[in-house]
Amino acid sequence: MLDLFPQQQVGGTLRSDVVLKVRDTARRACADVAAPVAIVMAASVFAVAVRPSIVRAETLAGTPILNTANLRYDLEGASRSIASNTVTLIVAERLDTRLVREGQGAVVVAPSPAAPTIVPFVLTNADNGTESFVLETRLSSPAITLQALAIDADGDGRYDPAVDTALVDATVPALAPGRSITVFAILAGTAERPAADATLTVTARALTGSGAPGTAYAGLGDGGGDAVVGPTGASASVVVPLTSAIAGPVLVKSQSVRATDGSQTAVRDSVITYTLEARFTDAVSGARIADPIPAGTAFVPGSLTLDGAPLSDAADDDAGRFDAAGGTAQGPGIAVALGQVAAASVHVVQFKAKIQ
Amino acid sequence: MITRPMIAAVLVATTAVASAAAGPLQVTSSILVEARAAAADGTTRIALVKPSKVTPGDKVIFVVSYRNTGTQPLGNVVLDNPLPRQVAYRSANPGSPAPDVSVDGKTFGSLETLRVRSLDGSTRAASPNDVTSVRWRLASPLAAGSQGQFAFQAVLK
Repeated sequence: MLDLFPQQQVGGTLRSDVVLKVRDTARRACADVAAPVAIVMAASVFAVAVRPSIVRAETLAGTPILNTANLRYDLEGASRSIASNTVTLIVAERLDTRLVREGQGAVVVAPSPAAPTIVPFVLTNADNGTESFVLETRLSSPAITLQALAIDADGDGRYDPAVDTALVDATVPALAPGRSITVFAILAGTAERPAADATLTVTARALTGSGAPGTAYAGLGDGGGDAVVGPTGASASVVVPLTSAIAGPVLVKSQSVRATDGSQTAVRDSVITYTLEARFTDAVSGARIADPIPAGTAFVPGSLTLDGAPLSDAADDDAGRFDAAGGTAQGPGIAVALGQVAAASVHVVQFKAKIQ
Repeated sequence: MITRPMIAAVLVATTAVASAAAGPLQVTSSILVEARAAAADGTTRIALVKPSKVTPGDKVIFVVSYRNTGTQPLGNVVLDNPLPRQVAYRSANPGSPAPDVSVDGKTFGSLETLRVRSLDGSTRAASPNDVTSVRWRLASPLAAGSQGQFAFQAVLK
């Protein structure tokens, strides 16, 4: 028997995070099997690991710029012309890196290594040359571990272990100037040690070099020219706040009030509609939701529903009942037996109570 | 301000190339960048130096030096410098006479007098970005043994 009791009311943020967690669980189910294949494919997939990006007008690193001047003059009544030497300037490679996170807010990390949490980032080669990048990750809490870094090899924006290959030496293979690529940080929490206020810091640095803008790396630019660190310092960091997900099912309770005058004022005879939303990541049996009727209110007979379908108040064949005598330890309350629950499912129980 | 020793050095370095051309007029092209250094008197001295790490958006200085190595004056000296397509013209370098510019390689004049024709047939005033070529004319014959230089600033696209 798995009894669920509502926690305190929770705002919308956690709710949407829970939805994400459920989706990740579903996707991961078929992905584990394919992981060894992905490692074998790593070397060959890198070449296509780019997504469409903006067209750049910048002169590419290594481009030779040639200049020749021409002179005409008159000598002894005849017009003559000569050309100067041709001077060549090799355009240097300006090293610039951009890294941004996709999405915002805290990421809820699932407690199970088998159901990792995916945090996507977009890395952009802001160079005027081709460049590789080294990623460095730091987790502020030992309760969360980094399983892998992977690139979005097929460019669909979603992590798929069969296609999106893990990075070797945390190095993103060469990107053409101006190109962006999605990088996934794959995180897992531990169930025993929930972490609040944890952070994931990801730093991307140009492989050729990074540091103070203007720092030069002689001869290391594309085409044999120099490389020089640009305004970004050739390095970019993103900090992602993390929280550990609560292991197992989650029950979220919310309420709405409707007074007899149609307003939302909580006065005598106002009716409160309570909504209990139970979310399950895993399949369970014998799940049961119980909730006492709050003191100072009276249950509205016939108001109990499960997933929108009415349940009778009597203790009969259907899943729910209202127990006026004290079905819960706290006094009168409702109880709904969900029984066998599928993985990644959501069930909603509603009932009404009138303020006395 | 441009320091004289630097320009002398450029001339020496390129003499071998220039002397390969027959005739009494030597012409040497160079691409330089500004190097700023604080001088002892508190001013900032700008030297033109050989570029080593020019990236898009950087200012580069094109310097063309000429010298009459012959024994007779040379008349109607005209110096043409088509711009490499990777650079955008900005202005004459301080200390250099302003060149006539062209947006089509045929008509030369001051920038204010030039117009650019659009695809739909309308025209607009030319901007420095439209310049494709610069040209200088010497108003008087170049005496034997005399020399000079022209310079303009551009930005790497």
